[in-house]
Amino acid sequence: MNTIFLQIQPLLNPDVNVRAIMPETIVAVTGILVMLYDSFMPKQRGVTTALSLIGLVIAGGVLLSMWPNAPVTSWNGMISSDNLRMSFSIVALLTTAVTILMSSVWVERENVPAGEYHALLLFATFGMMFMAAGNDLVILFLGLETLSIATYVMAGLRKSDLKSNESAMKYFILGSFASAFLLYGMGLVYGATGTTRIAEIAQMSGNANFPALLLMGGAMLVIGFGFKVATVPFHVWTPDVYEGAPTPVTAFMAVGSKSAAFSSFVRVFVLGFPLVVGAQSSVFLHDSWITALSVMGMLTMIVGNAAAIVQNNVKRMLAYSSIAHAGYALVGFIGAGVAKTPAARDAAIASVAFYMLTYAVTNLGAFAIVTLLGQKNDRRTDFSDYNGIGFRSPVLAFTLSLFMLSLLGLPLTAGFMGKVLVFRPALEAGSPMLTVLVVVAVVNTAISAYYYLRLIVVMFFRERTTEWTAPKIPIGVAAVLLLTVLGVFYFGIFSDGIIEKFSKSSAPATTSAQVK
Amino acid sequence: MDFINENLLTILILLPVFGALFTLGHALYWKEEKDLKWLTLIFTVGNFIVSLLLLGKHTASAGGFWFEKNVPWIKAINTNYHVGVDGLSIWLVILTTFIMPIAVVSTWHAVEKRRTAFYVFLLLLESAMIGVFVSLDLLVFYLFFEASLVPMFFLIGIWGGENRIYSAVKFFIFTALGSLLMLVAIIALYYYYAKATGGAGTFDFVVLLNALKSGKQLFSVQAGSLLFLAFALAFSIKVPLFPFHTWLPDAHTDAPTAGSVILAAVLLKMGTYGLMRFNFALFPDAARDWAPVFITLAIIGIIYGALVAMVQPDVKRLVAYSSVAHMGFVVLGMFSFTEQGMQGALYQMLNHGVSTGALFLLVGFIYERRHTRQITDFGGLANVMPLYSTIFVITTMSSIGLPLLNGFVGEFLIMIGMWKSTILSTANGWNYNYIATMLAGTGVIFAAVYLLWMVQRVFFGKVTNPKNKGLKDLSWREIGLILPLMVLMVYMGVFPKPFLNKSRDAVVAIQQRVVGQAGGTIDKADATPKAEH
Repeated sequence: MNTIFLQIQPLLNPDVNVRAIMPETIVAVTGILVMLYDSFMPKQRGVTTALSLIGLVIAGGVLLSMWPNAPVTSWNGMISSDNLRMSFSIVALLTTAVTILMSSVWVERENVPAGEYHALLLFATFGMMFMAAGNDLVILFLGLETLSIATYVMAGLRKSDLKSNESAMKYFILGSFASAFLLYGMGLVYGATGTTRIAEIAQMSGNANFPALLLMGGAMLVIGFGFKVATVPFHVWTPDVYEGAPTPVTAFMAVGSKSAAFSSFVRVFVLGFPLVVGAQSSVFLHDSWITALSVMGMLTMIVGNAAAIVQNNVKRMLAYSSIAHAGYALVGFIGAGVAKTPAARDAAIASVAFYMLTYAVTNLGAFAIVTLLGQKNDRRTDFSDYNGIGFRSPVLAFTLSLFMLSLLGLPLTAGFMGKVLVFRPALEAGSPMLTVLVVVAVVNTAISAYYYLRLIVVMFFRERTTEWTAPKIPIGVAAVLLLTVLGVFYFGIFSDGIIEKFSKSSAPATTSAQVK
Repeated sequence: MDFINENLLTILILLPVFGALFTLGHALYWKEEKDLKWLTLIFTVGNFIVSLLLLGKHTASAGGFWFEKNVPWIKAINTNYHVGVDGLSIWLVILTTFIMPIAVVSTWHAVEKRRTAFYVFLLLLESAMIGVFVSLDLLVFYLFFEASLVPMFFLIGIWGGENRIYSAVKFFIFTALGSLLMLVAIIALYYYYAKATGGAGTFDFVVLLNALKSGKQLFSVQAGSLLFLAFALAFSIKVPLFPFHTWLPDAHTDAPTAGSVILAAVLLKMGTYGLMRFNFALFPDAARDWAPVFITLAIIGIIYGALVAMVQPDVKRLVAYSSVAHMGFVVLGMFSFTEQGMQGALYQMLNHGVSTGALFLLVGFIYERRHTRQITDFGGLANVMPLYSTIFVITTMSSIGLPLLNGFVGEFLIMIGMWKSTILSTANGWNYNYIATMLAGTGVIFAAVYLLWMVQRVFFGKVTNPKNKGLKDLSWREIGLILPLMVLMVYMGVFPKPFLNKSRDAVVAIQQRVVGQAGGTIDKADATPKAEH
């Protein structure tokens, strides 16, 4: 094994399996079609919207049809088909579809080149789906870059607006920086294990050629992924970027990019760096990343919530709240990392996926309303702009309140189920550190009540002093609200089937590493 | 009939929800809000009538609960929609359904703006409150416990007084913080059970209880203590026990009358009910260990609440602080771990609901007339409003605990219970149980002081303020509103037997479990840590 550097692997016949990447292909093809259509027949917003939605729905249908009973890999182990991929891909498709629907009002108002925008969204989705499906560091990186580059552009779509430009620039520079860290980490891991396949890394992690390199690689990966999911202390870019970007794009970044990054993050760490009992280097690596992520998780929740309290802008508040939510999801993630049996680990991974799903539904709904109320250039996004609109526009105000309560995690809403599910695996481990982590999480939930309620307070308990007319709800936004409200209640009350589906069994060969 | 009997509790929970939807639909379709109070009244009265069926024929299940219903909810985490009542909860459910119509009628002219939302929230609140008292699955219990916050938050925030925003947010965050820690404890229990049995975990209270009763050791003594505290914190905030009481005066003062009545009559009872149902039954050892602390806090609450009430310039705030003192009594009785004390505590919960609810109603009446609650703005009201004054004084007497009125029975039982208790130490010739009882006794005297002093300043003497001269006495609606409460005060004071009989078995079972005569975990749990050392 020590000669791994010199070992030249025989060329393999590529294991081409088009069906395994069918959903991704459909999304990409739709993106290309949209772009082509737009260049020949520009300015037809309705058509590109419909085209994109149809593509997404077909991709979703194909995805559902190939939901595996047991994990399988294809393309020589580069693509995996397991619950981790399936559930996160569903979140990705859902996010994009909802984003497209809610953008309709904004696209019209700001006169955005709709074709480009929709094509970019689809390409980003393609990247997200590969981040969920990739079982190889290289594939993950490809997916990540596809997603990132599309998002950099979208953040700057409001070309004439200084804030939007600032947002795109910041995101681009810092994002590239993080990608570099990530790539460096991948390189080091490759150096230490001689492979980029997650499953093989897992087997090698107890038996690495250079344990120190592996550890450093892991640290770099934590930094890179930490940036992408916006965990403290790598979160500083978030508020500015989220505030400056057009609101639908912010929604997409806060939900889509984050959940996609989580899917890769979970796969690399939980499945790639598992605990191999008895192997010194693996135990050390595992302990290190669990501890690092626990500390990061606590900081993320505390800083995210503390900063959200003092915001006066709803978009910034949601940005900080999304930081805090990354912290809650990390709790489930760490729970997956310390799970003692493969079944418990899969359940924990499913809980993270389910959490991202509930978070997506809730947050997208909230952003849709913020978009609608924002008016041109997203001017009206301060708390004071929401003063007393509660009974002027009861539908919008009550649905927004519902989303706030769901973000807060109140029972009967999706957020509650999500929180219960991510806290469970961490408590199951029974270690004091994780118990403290969960306690920190719930205390933070109580703190977060302050700023979520503040929006409700502003809308319902204060009187409006200035003129305000309720906006008409366009059909796209109406569809989004209907979907998300139903989703919030459905996931909160009837989540039985979905949780079952998400946790049915997942994860390929890595289990053997644990068995060894 | 069988169908109704089998699903009685579900009907009780869902009827108000259905009423809320109906009310909303009515308001949206007819675009007017005048009839909504009638609709809401019909639904709440209907729910009250349905709840009376609880007193009828019933068969106890294996777990000792009546009207039990257990259907799976989310299989993946093994949580069930499991409801049932027993002697402990049955009166609280009926109290809830009984108070609701009264609360609705109290809003007849008081709520002018945004009536649709008001009645919808009121109905949703009712179903959440009933849910709390009947759930036997910890997660479902938590769900209702938290869900009851939202309607109340809106009720205070939209229809409340001057400081309503501050009070509403404080109310929400205080209670949410406590209950979230309880959630952690609930999930931890799930895994303790899974670990002990080697199978799946459970949130089912009855299953957990049976496992504990059969001598299974689910958790270590330290863990049990922590779990106990996590539950107790949630409930202590709700009760509220000193020093967690600071949200109460604010919430009470700023809530609309109906909100205050419900808050005092029902919401606070969730705390004491939870302590008795979950803390005592699941963690009897920890309950005994921590009893001195809770007794001390309860006594501080009794005396402190009374002293602070004494100096309040605002009548409603005064009643709010009297709640702190009264609920201190309830906690004291529970932690005496004697049959009398615990029965008295349960009885006092009902009494407090009736008499403090009535006090808040009465304060609401005068506020509607004068739009002030400052004691100094009144004086000599007995001359202009004789009927109102009579009723007010009787209610005050009930609250103080005059014999033949309900308050007396409860407080007397609690004090006997505490006197006979053996939970506090009797070392060095000092029987601390006696001392605790005596200190609590001073609370009764203080109660007489602050309430009678307030009565004297508000009702007696000459009418000093010209604005009070033309005040109208109670209307028929108001008399009809307060009458059922007055009847109950007298009835419960003279003839407490039916109430106490119904609850005896359940209360004694809990008491036996805590004092460890029913074959519990006590010996084993006490023995293990020593073996570990």
